[in-house]
Amino acid sequence: MTNNNSSDELLNLWKSQKPQSISLSAKELRDASSKLERRVYWRNIREYMGAAIVAIAFGFYMVKFQTVLLRLGSGLTIAGALFVAFHLFRKGSTAVMTTDLESKSCVEFYRTELVRQRDLLLSVWKWYLMPFVPGLGLFLLGMLQMVLRQPASHLHYGMVALWFGATFAMCAATFALVEWLNRRAAKEIQKKIDTLDQHTQAID
Amino acid sequence: MPGTQNKSDDLYNEAVAAHGPALSRLARGYEFDPEDCRDLLQEIHLAMWRSFAGFDGRCSLRTWVYRVAHNTAASHILRSRRMKSKTMISLEELEEQGGIAAKDDTSHSIEQSEVLERLFALIQCLNPLDRQVILLYLEGMDAASIGEVTGISSGYAATKIHRVKAILAERFRKGGNHDKQ
Repeated sequence: MTNNNSSDELLNLWKSQKPQSISLSAKELRDASSKLERRVYWRNIREYMGAAIVAIAFGFYMVKFQTVLLRLGSGLTIAGALFVAFHLFRKGSTAVMTTDLESKSCVEFYRTELVRQRDLLLSVWKWYLMPFVPGLGLFLLGMLQMVLRQPASHLHYGMVALWFGATFAMCAATFALVEWLNRRAAKEIQKKIDTLDQHTQAID
Repeated sequence: MPGTQNKSDDLYNEAVAAHGPALSRLARGYEFDPEDCRDLLQEIHLAMWRSFAGFDGRCSLRTWVYRVAHNTAASHILRSRRMKSKTMISLEELEEQGGIAAKDDTSHSIEQSEVLERLFALIQCLNPLDRQVILLYLEGMDAASIGEVTGISSGYAATKIHRVKAILAERFRKGGNHDKQ
């Protein structure tokens, strides 16, 4: 059998399939479009809710605690959460409503999407982790200061050091893990971009 | 705006009449599971309808429809956690694997549905670009048209088509006839 005969038979078989063809009515399309917009709206709300919870919790600390360090730490953490929410609003962390579907060729579109995802992952430390570092750092120092202000007879310095060290290590480890996972995912995406470039530039 | 919506509705109806079955086959090339396939197909139809508000005739309706459909499907793959974890290969890698999958082809009568099932399995192991090429080829498009939709040169599309034909001949030749041409 020649390649052409084999391919022709497959082509015929492919086209002879009777797939379920759908056609949506104008009303169904508009309903689906509104549903998609509602989905995007609620996704955004969920993302802002996270920031709101952080803001409420640290707002409470700002009122409750009297020391400058704790108040400043809480304020900066709230500012960090608001910055993250603003970034999510401006860039969108997950593209539910993809645009530009028709203006780009498939290769161009696919590459743009890959680059967008890679860059988003690589910049996570800048817009998702760093904004919380000053606030949480000061808050942690404020907590330490508050503990150390207690009468010396109530203090067990070993326990304080252990508590501070463990809390600090846990925060640092969480940040490092998030960053490492994102870098690893970005590396995988970069491999896909490189392969795509190799394939499309080799012959063009 | 009613004018824009009417334009989108008219173009949508025209596109579905001309390319509806092809879009269903395309969706199945990305999602074999019937439920997921139907969801993707609806997503494609919606994206197509929304896109028609900006249709300016700078390319043919067919090219427009296929671009929107394939880009929607590619975006779907990039979003899907299940798909992200799946290893996808190129036509070149598939060709290098040679007759691994052809071992099963020794039976003399392979049911057409089984052939199609295996064809879909083969399509779904390909990376998005090569998947687009093979799906467009199966719809009967030539190298120039495939190039226009995907954005690769027609020469490169022709090379890809040549590979597709070789792979399909190797893996779907009929039982008993194992001569390589």
